[in-house]
Amino acid sequence: MASWTIDEPGKRELDPVDRVLVQLIEGAVSVVGSDGPPTLEVSELQGEPLSVRQEGGALTVDYEHPGRSGLLAWLTSRGKRKAVLTLAVPRDCRVELQVVSASLMAGGLRAPVLAKTVSGEITLAGLGGAAEAETVSGAVQASAISGDLSAATVSGEITVAEGGGSVRAKTISGAIAIDLGPSGDRDIQLSSVSGDLTVRVPEASDLEVKLQSTSGQVASAFGQLELDRTPGRHAARGRLGSGTGRLRASSTSGHVALLRRAPEVL
Amino acid sequence: MSPVFSHGRLRLYLLKLLEESPRHGYDVIRLLEDRFMGMYAPSPGTIYPRLQRLEAEGLVTQTKEGGRKVYQITDAGRAELAARHDELDELEAEISGSVHGMAREIRDEVRGTVRDLKQELKQAAREIRREQRHENRSRRDQGGDQRWDWYDQSVDGRLWYFLDRTQKAIRRAQLTEAQVRECAAILDEALERIRNVLKQSPDTEEGSR
Repeated sequence: MASWTIDEPGKRELDPVDRVLVQLIEGAVSVVGSDGPPTLEVSELQGEPLSVRQEGGALTVDYEHPGRSGLLAWLTSRGKRKAVLTLAVPRDCRVELQVVSASLMAGGLRAPVLAKTVSGEITLAGLGGAAEAETVSGAVQASAISGDLSAATVSGEITVAEGGGSVRAKTISGAIAIDLGPSGDRDIQLSSVSGDLTVRVPEASDLEVKLQSTSGQVASAFGQLELDRTPGRHAARGRLGSGTGRLRASSTSGHVALLRRAPEVL
Repeated sequence: MSPVFSHGRLRLYLLKLLEESPRHGYDVIRLLEDRFMGMYAPSPGTIYPRLQRLEAEGLVTQTKEGGRKVYQITDAGRAELAARHDELDELEAEISGSVHGMAREIRDEVRGTVRDLKQELKQAAREIRREQRHENRSRRDQGGDQRWDWYDQSVDGRLWYFLDRTQKAIRRAQLTEAQVRECAAILDEALERIRNVLKQSPDTEEGSR
Protein backbone atom coordinates (compact mmCIF):
# COMPACT_ATOMS: atom_id res chain seq x y z
CA MET A 1 0.00 0.00 0.00
CA ALA A 2 1.34 3.41 -1.00
CA SER A 3 0.34 6.39 1.09
CA TRP A 4 1.49 9.97 1.18
CA THR A 5 0.31 13.44 2.10
CA ILE A 6 -0.05 16.49 -0.10
CA ASP A 7 0.54 19.90 1.40
CA GLU A 8 1.00 22.02 -1.70
CA PRO A 9 -0.40 22.21 -5.24
CA GLY A 10 1.21 19.82 -7.69
CA LYS A 11 0.70 16.94 -10.07
CA ARG A 12 1.55 13.29 -9.61
CA GLU A 13 1.20 10.13 -11.63
CA LEU A 14 -0.57 7.27 -9.85
CA ASP A 15 -0.40 3.49 -9.85
CA PRO A 16 -3.20 1.83 -11.85
CA VAL A 17 -6.63 2.49 -10.29
CA ASP A 18 -10.05 0.94 -10.72
CA ARG A 19 -11.85 2.61 -7.82
CA VAL A 20 -11.65 6.12 -6.40
CA LEU A 21 -13.01 7.54 -3.17
CA VAL A 22 -12.62 11.25 -2.40
CA GLN A 23 -13.86 12.79 0.84
CA LEU A 24 -13.26 16.50 1.25
CA ILE A 25 -14.79 19.54 2.90
CA GLU A 26 -14.63 22.58 0.64
CA GLY A 27 -13.26 23.31 -2.83
CA ALA A 28 -13.79 21.40 -6.06
CA VAL A 29 -13.25 17.81 -7.17
CA SER A 30 -13.20 16.76 -10.82
CA VAL A 31 -12.74 13.23 -12.10
CA VAL A 32 -12.38 12.61 -15.80
CA GLY A 33 -11.93 9.39 -17.71
CA SER A 34 -8.84 9.34 -19.88
CA ASP A 35 -6.76 6.93 -21.93
CA GLY A 36 -3.52 8.23 -20.43
CA PRO A 37 -1.91 7.25 -17.12
CA PRO A 38 -3.91 8.03 -13.98
CA THR A 39 -2.89 11.37 -12.47
CA LEU A 40 -3.80 13.50 -9.49
CA GLU A 41 -3.51 17.23 -9.89
CA VAL A 42 -3.99 19.52 -6.91
CA SER A 43 -4.32 23.12 -7.98
CA GLU A 44 -5.31 24.75 -4.71
CA LEU A 45 -4.90 23.77 -1.09
CA GLN A 46 -5.73 25.58 2.14
CA GLY A 47 -5.65 24.29 5.70
CA GLU A 48 -4.90 20.68 6.52
CA PRO A 49 -2.80 18.55 4.09
CA LEU A 50 -4.57 15.87 2.06
CA SER A 51 -3.99 12.22 2.73
CA VAL A 52 -3.71 9.89 -0.28
CA ARG A 53 -3.69 6.08 -0.10
CA GLN A 54 -3.46 3.49 -2.82
CA GLU A 55 -4.14 -0.12 -2.05
CA GLY A 56 -4.66 -2.55 -4.89
CA GLY A 57 -6.66 -0.58 -7.40
CA ALA A 58 -8.40 1.50 -4.75
CA LEU A 59 -7.42 5.14 -4.39
CA THR A 60 -8.57 7.22 -1.45
CA VAL A 61 -8.10 10.96 -1.06
CA ASP A 62 -9.25 12.52 2.20
CA TYR A 63 -8.05 14.13 5.43
CA GLU A 64 -6.20 12.33 8.15
CA HIS A 65 -8.61 13.81 10.67
CA PRO A 66 -11.90 13.69 8.83
CA GLY A 67 -14.05 15.01 11.68
CA ARG A 68 -17.77 15.03 11.14
CA SER A 69 -19.14 14.29 7.73
CA GLY A 70 -22.21 15.30 5.78
CA LEU A 71 -24.67 17.97 6.80
CA LEU A 72 -23.48 18.01 10.38
CA ALA A 73 -19.95 18.88 9.29
CA TRP A 74 -21.28 21.76 7.27
CA LEU A 75 -23.40 22.99 10.13
CA THR A 76 -20.52 22.86 12.59
CA SER A 77 -17.51 23.64 10.42
CA ARG A 78 -15.21 26.33 11.71
CA GLY A 79 -11.69 26.20 10.29
CA LYS A 80 -11.18 26.35 6.55
CA ARG A 81 -10.13 23.15 4.77
CA LYS A 82 -10.22 23.73 1.07
CA ALA A 83 -8.82 21.73 -1.83
CA VAL A 84 -9.25 21.94 -5.58
CA LEU A 85 -8.21 18.73 -7.30
CA THR A 86 -8.60 16.88 -10.57
CA LEU A 87 -8.16 13.17 -11.13
CA ALA A 88 -7.63 11.55 -14.50
CA VAL A 89 -8.56 7.87 -14.29
CA PRO A 90 -9.31 5.01 -16.70
CA ARG A 91 -12.81 5.22 -18.16
CA ASP A 92 -14.02 2.11 -16.36
CA CYS A 93 -12.92 3.29 -12.92
CA ARG A 94 -15.67 3.46 -10.27
CA VAL A 95 -15.89 6.88 -8.65
CA GLU A 96 -17.27 7.94 -5.30
CA LEU A 97 -17.12 11.59 -4.21
CA GLN A 98 -18.39 12.76 -0.84
CA VAL A 99 -17.79 16.35 0.10
CA VAL A 100 -19.38 19.05 2.20
CA SER A 101 -19.48 22.27 0.24
CA ALA A 102 -17.21 21.47 -2.68
CA SER A 103 -18.47 21.39 -6.24
CA LEU A 104 -18.16 18.05 -8.02
CA MET A 105 -17.61 17.10 -11.61
CA ALA A 106 -17.38 13.67 -13.27
CA GLY A 107 -16.95 13.21 -17.00
CA GLY A 108 -16.08 10.64 -19.62
CA LEU A 109 -16.60 7.55 -17.47
CA ARG A 110 -18.30 4.22 -18.13
CA ALA A 111 -18.39 2.85 -14.59
CA PRO A 112 -20.80 3.90 -11.81
CA VAL A 113 -20.38 7.36 -10.31
CA LEU A 114 -21.64 8.50 -6.93
CA ALA A 115 -21.45 12.22 -6.09
CA LYS A 116 -22.65 13.66 -2.80
CA THR A 117 -22.28 17.21 -1.57
CA VAL A 118 -24.24 19.35 0.85
CA SER A 119 -24.08 22.75 -0.75
CA GLY A 120 -21.95 22.34 -3.86
CA GLU A 121 -22.94 22.04 -7.48
CA ILE A 122 -22.71 18.66 -9.24
CA THR A 123 -21.81 18.39 -12.92
CA LEU A 124 -22.05 15.11 -14.81
CA ALA A 125 -20.95 14.86 -18.42
CA GLY A 126 -20.60 11.98 -20.83
CA LEU A 127 -21.34 9.14 -18.38
CA GLY A 128 -22.15 5.60 -19.48
CA GLY A 129 -22.59 3.85 -16.14
CA ALA A 130 -25.13 4.39 -13.40
CA ALA A 131 -24.80 7.85 -11.88
CA GLU A 132 -26.08 9.02 -8.53
CA ALA A 133 -26.01 12.67 -7.46
CA GLU A 134 -27.15 14.06 -4.15
CA THR A 135 -26.98 17.62 -2.87
CA VAL A 136 -28.98 19.69 -0.43
CA SER A 137 -28.80 23.21 -1.80
CA GLY A 138 -26.56 22.86 -4.84
CA ALA A 139 -27.69 22.30 -8.42
CA VAL A 140 -27.27 19.09 -10.39
CA GLN A 141 -26.49 19.56 -14.06
CA ALA A 142 -25.93 16.71 -16.46
CA SER A 143 -25.34 16.38 -20.16
CA ALA A 144 -24.87 13.38 -22.46
CA ILE A 145 -25.80 10.77 -19.86
CA SER A 146 -26.38 7.40 -21.49
CA GLY A 147 -26.58 5.35 -18.30
CA ASP A 148 -29.22 5.50 -15.59
CA LEU A 149 -29.27 8.65 -13.49
CA SER A 150 -30.56 9.22 -10.02
CA ALA A 151 -30.52 12.76 -8.61
CA ALA A 152 -31.84 14.22 -5.38
CA THR A 153 -31.76 17.75 -3.95
CA VAL A 154 -33.62 19.76 -1.36
CA SER A 155 -33.56 23.21 -2.90
CA GLY A 156 -31.19 22.81 -5.84
CA GLU A 157 -32.32 22.63 -9.45
CA ILE A 158 -31.84 19.42 -11.42
CA THR A 159 -31.26 19.81 -15.14
CA VAL A 160 -30.47 17.04 -17.59
CA ALA A 161 -29.60 17.75 -21.22
CA GLU A 162 -29.73 14.67 -23.39
CA GLY A 163 -30.61 11.93 -20.94
CA GLY A 164 -30.38 8.48 -22.50
CA GLY A 165 -31.25 5.99 -19.77
CA SER A 166 -33.67 5.86 -16.90
CA VAL A 167 -33.91 8.96 -14.70
CA ARG A 168 -35.05 9.31 -11.12
CA ALA A 169 -35.03 12.87 -9.87
CA LYS A 170 -36.37 14.13 -6.59
CA THR A 171 -36.41 17.57 -5.04
CA ILE A 172 -38.31 19.58 -2.47
CA SER A 173 -38.28 23.14 -3.76
CA GLY A 174 -35.87 23.03 -6.71
CA ALA A 175 -37.06 22.84 -10.30
CA ILE A 176 -36.43 19.78 -12.46
CA ALA A 177 -35.93 20.18 -16.22
CA ILE A 178 -35.11 17.14 -18.31
CA ASP A 179 -34.53 16.78 -22.01
CA LEU A 180 -34.65 13.16 -23.11
CA GLY A 181 -32.97 11.75 -26.16
CA PRO A 182 -34.54 8.98 -28.19
CA SER A 183 -34.55 5.61 -26.45
CA GLY A 184 -37.08 2.87 -25.81
CA ASP A 185 -37.39 0.98 -22.61
CA ARG A 186 -36.81 3.30 -19.73
CA ASP A 187 -38.26 4.50 -16.52
CA ILE A 188 -38.47 8.23 -15.77
CA GLN A 189 -39.62 9.22 -12.30
CA LEU A 190 -39.68 12.84 -11.21
CA SER A 191 -41.05 14.27 -8.03
CA SER A 192 -41.07 17.56 -6.17
CA VAL A 193 -42.93 19.34 -3.43
CA SER A 194 -42.96 22.91 -4.71
CA GLY A 195 -40.51 22.85 -7.63
CA ASP A 196 -41.76 22.83 -11.22
CA LEU A 197 -41.23 19.65 -13.27
CA THR A 198 -40.57 19.98 -16.98
CA VAL A 199 -39.80 17.08 -19.32
CA ARG A 200 -39.19 17.23 -23.02
CA VAL A 201 -39.32 14.02 -25.03
CA PRO A 202 -38.84 13.31 -28.74
CA GLU A 203 -41.95 13.40 -30.85
CA ALA A 204 -41.62 9.68 -31.52
CA SER A 205 -41.52 8.35 -27.96
CA ASP A 206 -42.75 5.09 -26.51
CA LEU A 207 -43.90 6.01 -23.06
CA GLU A 208 -46.75 5.25 -20.75
CA VAL A 209 -47.30 8.62 -19.08
CA LYS A 210 -48.76 9.72 -15.77
CA LEU A 211 -48.36 13.35 -14.66
CA GLN A 212 -49.93 14.90 -11.63
CA SER A 213 -49.89 17.88 -9.34
CA THR A 214 -52.07 18.58 -6.34
CA SER A 215 -52.23 22.33 -6.76
CA GLY A 216 -49.96 23.16 -9.68
CA GLN A 217 -51.00 23.06 -13.30
CA VAL A 218 -50.40 19.98 -15.44
CA ALA A 219 -49.85 20.67 -19.12
CA SER A 220 -48.97 18.42 -22.04
CA ALA A 221 -47.94 19.15 -25.59
CA PHE A 222 -49.19 15.71 -26.62
CA GLY A 223 -52.88 15.80 -27.48
CA GLN A 224 -53.33 12.07 -26.97
CA LEU A 225 -52.99 12.37 -23.19
CA GLU A 226 -56.18 12.60 -21.22
CA LEU A 227 -56.35 15.59 -18.88
CA ASP A 228 -58.09 15.46 -15.55
CA ARG A 229 -58.65 18.76 -13.77
CA THR A 230 -60.63 18.03 -10.67
CA PRO A 231 -59.88 20.51 -7.88
CA GLY A 232 -57.04 19.31 -5.69
CA ARG A 233 -55.67 17.08 -8.37
CA HIS A 234 -54.53 17.94 -11.85
CA ALA A 235 -53.41 14.98 -13.85
CA ALA A 236 -52.64 13.79 -17.35
CA ARG A 237 -52.26 10.21 -18.41
CA GLY A 238 -52.05 8.13 -21.49
CA ARG A 239 -49.71 6.40 -23.88
CA LEU A 240 -47.23 7.71 -26.40
CA GLY A 241 -46.23 5.30 -29.16
CA SER A 242 -46.12 1.70 -27.98
CA GLY A 243 -45.78 2.72 -24.34
CA THR A 244 -42.85 0.44 -23.52
CA GLY A 245 -41.14 3.01 -21.30
CA ARG A 246 -42.62 4.76 -18.31
CA LEU A 247 -42.82 8.43 -17.35
CA ARG A 248 -44.11 9.52 -13.96
CA ALA A 249 -43.97 13.11 -12.77
CA SER A 250 -45.63 14.13 -9.58
CA SER A 251 -45.58 17.36 -7.61
CA THR A 252 -47.47 18.82 -4.68
CA SER A 253 -47.62 22.48 -5.65
CA GLY A 254 -45.26 22.72 -8.61
CA HIS A 255 -46.35 22.88 -12.22
CA VAL A 256 -45.81 19.78 -14.35
CA ALA A 257 -45.25 20.10 -18.10
CA LEU A 258 -44.56 17.56 -20.80
CA LEU A 259 -43.04 19.08 -23.93
CA ARG A 260 -42.42 17.73 -27.39
CA ARG A 261 -39.05 17.88 -29.06
CA ALA A 262 -39.05 18.27 -32.81
CA PRO A 263 -36.50 16.14 -34.69
CA GLU A 264 -33.33 18.06 -35.50
CA VAL A 265 -31.67 18.22 -38.85
CA LEU A 266 -28.00 18.99 -38.53
CA MET B 1 -15.55 32.65 -14.15
CA SER B 2 -18.92 33.71 -15.42
CA PRO B 3 -20.83 31.07 -17.38
CA VAL B 4 -21.73 33.65 -20.01
CA PHE B 5 -18.10 34.20 -20.77
CA SER B 6 -17.18 30.54 -20.77
CA HIS B 7 -20.08 29.67 -22.96
CA GLY B 8 -18.80 32.26 -25.38
CA ARG B 9 -15.65 30.20 -25.61
CA LEU B 10 -17.30 27.22 -27.20
CA ARG B 11 -18.85 29.54 -29.69
CA LEU B 12 -15.38 30.81 -30.47
CA TYR B 13 -14.21 27.27 -31.00
CA LEU B 14 -17.16 26.51 -33.28
CA LEU B 15 -16.13 29.49 -35.40
CA LYS B 16 -12.57 28.23 -35.49
CA LEU B 17 -13.65 24.78 -36.68
CA LEU B 18 -15.70 26.35 -39.43
CA GLU B 19 -12.89 28.69 -40.39
CA GLU B 20 -10.68 25.66 -41.10
CA SER B 21 -13.24 24.37 -43.55
CA PRO B 22 -17.02 24.23 -44.15
CA ARG B 23 -18.42 21.29 -42.20
CA HIS B 24 -21.48 19.13 -41.60
CA GLY B 25 -23.06 19.52 -38.17
CA TYR B 26 -22.08 15.95 -37.32
CA ASP B 27 -18.44 16.62 -38.22
CA VAL B 28 -18.52 19.57 -35.86
CA ILE B 29 -19.72 17.29 -33.06
CA ARG B 30 -17.08 14.67 -33.78
CA LEU B 31 -14.35 17.32 -33.73
CA LEU B 32 -15.65 18.70 -30.45
CA GLU B 33 -15.51 15.22 -28.98
CA ASP B 34 -11.88 14.94 -30.07
CA ARG B 35 -11.22 18.28 -28.49
CA PHE B 36 -12.61 17.04 -25.19
CA MET B 37 -10.38 13.97 -25.60
CA GLY B 38 -13.40 11.71 -25.93
CA MET B 39 -14.58 12.59 -22.43
CA TYR B 40 -17.64 14.40 -23.59
CA ALA B 41 -19.56 14.60 -26.84
CA PRO B 42 -22.08 17.42 -27.05
CA SER B 43 -25.32 16.13 -28.56
CA PRO B 44 -26.96 17.43 -31.74
CA GLY B 45 -29.63 18.90 -29.46
CA THR B 46 -27.08 21.15 -27.78
CA ILE B 47 -24.94 22.08 -30.79
CA TYR B 48 -27.73 22.72 -33.25
CA PRO B 49 -29.23 25.74 -31.41
CA ARG B 50 -25.79 27.29 -31.15
CA LEU B 51 -25.08 26.94 -34.84
CA GLN B 52 -28.50 28.42 -35.44
CA ARG B 53 -27.67 31.37 -33.24
CA LEU B 54 -24.38 31.95 -35.06
CA GLU B 55 -26.35 31.90 -38.27
CA ALA B 56 -28.88 34.41 -36.95
CA GLU B 57 -26.02 36.70 -36.00
CA GLY B 58 -24.62 36.48 -39.51
CA LEU B 59 -21.36 34.78 -38.43
CA VAL B 60 -22.00 31.57 -40.37
CA THR B 61 -24.17 30.58 -43.29
CA GLN B 62 -25.73 27.26 -44.03
CA THR B 63 -26.46 25.34 -47.22
CA LYS B 64 -28.15 21.99 -47.74
CA GLU B 65 -26.07 19.27 -49.32
CA GLY B 66 -27.79 15.94 -49.93
CA GLY B 67 -30.28 16.52 -47.13
CA ARG B 68 -27.63 17.55 -44.59
CA LYS B 69 -26.70 21.05 -43.59
CA VAL B 70 -23.24 22.35 -44.28
CA TYR B 71 -22.08 25.31 -42.21
CA GLN B 72 -19.65 27.88 -43.50
CA ILE B 73 -18.03 30.90 -41.83
CA THR B 74 -18.82 34.41 -43.14
CA ASP B 75 -16.56 37.47 -43.28
CA ALA B 76 -18.27 38.75 -40.14
CA GLY B 77 -17.44 35.42 -38.47
CA ARG B 78 -13.81 35.70 -39.52
CA ALA B 79 -13.68 39.24 -38.15
CA GLU B 80 -15.02 38.09 -34.76
CA LEU B 81 -12.48 35.28 -34.66
CA ALA B 82 -9.63 37.67 -35.49
CA ALA B 83 -10.75 40.11 -32.83
CA ARG B 84 -10.72 37.40 -30.16
CA HIS B 85 -7.56 35.67 -31.25
CA ASP B 86 -5.77 36.10 -27.93
CA GLU B 87 -8.68 34.61 -26.06
CA LEU B 88 -8.60 31.55 -28.27
CA ASP B 89 -4.86 31.04 -27.77
CA GLU B 90 -5.29 31.33 -24.04
CA LEU B 91 -8.06 28.78 -24.12
CA GLU B 92 -5.99 26.30 -26.12
CA ALA B 93 -3.04 26.66 -23.74
CA GLU B 94 -5.25 26.05 -20.75
CA ILE B 95 -6.78 22.92 -22.17
CA SER B 96 -3.64 21.31 -23.46
CA GLY B 97 -1.83 22.22 -20.23
CA SER B 98 -3.67 19.95 -17.82
CA VAL B 99 -6.57 17.62 -17.11
CA HIS B 100 -7.66 20.29 -14.69
CA GLY B 101 -8.12 22.78 -17.51
CA MET B 102 -9.94 20.15 -19.53
CA ALA B 103 -12.28 19.27 -16.66
CA ARG B 104 -13.05 22.93 -16.15
CA GLU B 105 -13.71 23.40 -19.83
CA ILE B 106 -16.16 20.48 -19.87
CA ARG B 107 -17.87 21.76 -16.74
CA ASP B 108 -18.26 25.22 -18.21
CA GLU B 109 -19.60 23.75 -21.42
CA VAL B 110 -22.20 21.68 -19.56
CA ARG B 111 -23.12 24.70 -17.44
CA GLY B 112 -23.75 26.77 -20.56
CA THR B 113 -25.73 24.00 -22.24
CA VAL B 114 -27.85 23.52 -19.16
CA ARG B 115 -28.49 27.23 -18.75
CA ASP B 116 -29.73 27.50 -22.34
CA LEU B 117 -31.84 24.38 -21.99
CA LYS B 118 -33.45 25.56 -18.77
CA GLN B 119 -34.44 28.81 -20.37
CA GLU B 120 -35.80 27.11 -23.47
CA LEU B 121 -37.85 24.55 -21.53
CA LYS B 122 -39.14 27.12 -19.06
CA GLN B 123 -40.43 29.28 -21.86
CA ALA B 124 -41.97 26.37 -23.77
CA ALA B 125 -43.67 25.13 -20.60
CA ARG B 126 -45.06 28.57 -19.89
CA GLU B 127 -46.46 28.73 -23.39
CA ILE B 128 -48.32 25.43 -23.28
CA ARG B 129 -49.64 26.30 -19.83
CA ARG B 130 -50.97 29.57 -21.16
CA GLU B 131 -52.56 27.86 -24.15
CA GLN B 132 -54.13 25.26 -21.95
CA ARG B 133 -55.48 27.79 -19.48
CA HIS B 134 -56.93 29.70 -22.37
CA GLU B 135 -58.66 26.58 -23.69
CA ASN B 136 -60.02 25.79 -20.30
CA ARG B 137 -61.33 29.26 -19.78
CA SER B 138 -63.22 29.21 -23.03
CA ARG B 139 -64.58 25.76 -22.24
CA ARG B 140 -66.04 26.81 -18.92
CA ASP B 141 -65.91 30.32 -17.70
CA GLN B 142 -64.58 29.50 -14.30
CA GLY B 143 -61.87 27.37 -12.76
CA GLY B 144 -58.53 28.69 -13.91
CA ASP B 145 -55.30 28.03 -12.20
CA GLN B 146 -55.75 27.14 -8.60
CA ARG B 147 -52.17 27.06 -7.52
CA TRP B 148 -52.02 27.29 -3.78
CA ASP B 149 -49.50 29.98 -3.15
CA TRP B 150 -50.12 29.82 0.55
CA TYR B 151 -48.58 26.38 0.54
CA ASP B 152 -45.16 27.70 -0.45
CA GLN B 153 -45.28 30.41 2.12
CA SER B 154 -46.41 28.37 5.04
CA VAL B 155 -44.55 25.07 4.60
CA ASP B 156 -41.63 25.72 2.33
CA GLY B 157 -40.80 28.98 4.05
CA ARG B 158 -40.94 27.28 7.39
CA LEU B 159 -38.60 24.52 6.26
CA TRP B 160 -36.00 27.09 5.30
CA TYR B 161 -36.52 29.04 8.47
CA PHE B 162 -36.04 25.80 10.36
CA LEU B 163 -32.80 24.88 8.55
CA ASP B 164 -31.42 28.36 9.02
CA ARG B 165 -32.20 28.53 12.72
CA THR B 166 -30.98 25.00 13.38
CA GLN B 167 -27.71 25.78 11.69
CA LYS B 168 -27.20 28.85 13.84
CA ALA B 169 -28.15 27.06 17.04
CA ILE B 170 -25.90 24.07 16.36
CA ARG B 171 -22.98 26.26 15.37
CA ARG B 172 -23.04 27.92 18.74
CA ALA B 173 -23.15 24.64 20.68
CA GLN B 174 -20.55 21.95 21.24
CA LEU B 175 -22.53 18.87 20.34
CA THR B 176 -22.28 15.76 22.47
CA GLU B 177 -23.20 12.36 21.10
CA ALA B 178 -26.25 12.18 23.33
CA GLN B 179 -27.46 15.54 22.07
CA VAL B 180 -27.01 14.46 18.48
CA ARG B 181 -29.04 11.34 19.16
CA GLU B 182 -31.77 13.32 20.84
CA CYS B 183 -31.94 15.82 17.97
CA ALA B 184 -32.18 12.96 15.49
CA ALA B 185 -35.07 11.45 17.47
CA ILE B 186 -36.93 14.79 17.42
CA LEU B 187 -36.50 15.01 13.65
CA ASP B 188 -37.73 11.43 13.18
CA GLU B 189 -40.76 12.14 15.28
CA ALA B 190 -41.55 15.35 13.39
CA LEU B 191 -41.32 13.50 10.09
CA GLU B 192 -43.60 10.75 11.37
CA ARG B 193 -46.18 13.27 12.54
CA ILE B 194 -46.08 15.15 9.24
CA ARG B 195 -46.61 11.87 7.41
CA ASN B 196 -49.62 11.14 9.58
CA VAL B 197 -51.11 14.53 8.84
CA LEU B 198 -50.65 13.98 5.10
CA LYS B 199 -52.21 10.52 5.31
CA GLN B 200 -55.48 12.15 6.38
CA SER B 201 -55.57 14.27 3.22
CA PRO B 202 -57.76 12.93 0.41
CA ASP B 203 -55.24 13.88 -2.28
CA THR B 204 -52.45 11.48 -1.50
CA GLU B 205 -53.57 8.03 -2.45
CA GLU B 206 -50.85 8.29 -5.09
CA GLY B 207 -47.61 9.37 -3.49
CA SER B 208 -44.57 10.84 -5.16
CA ARG B 209 -42.42 7.75 -5.07
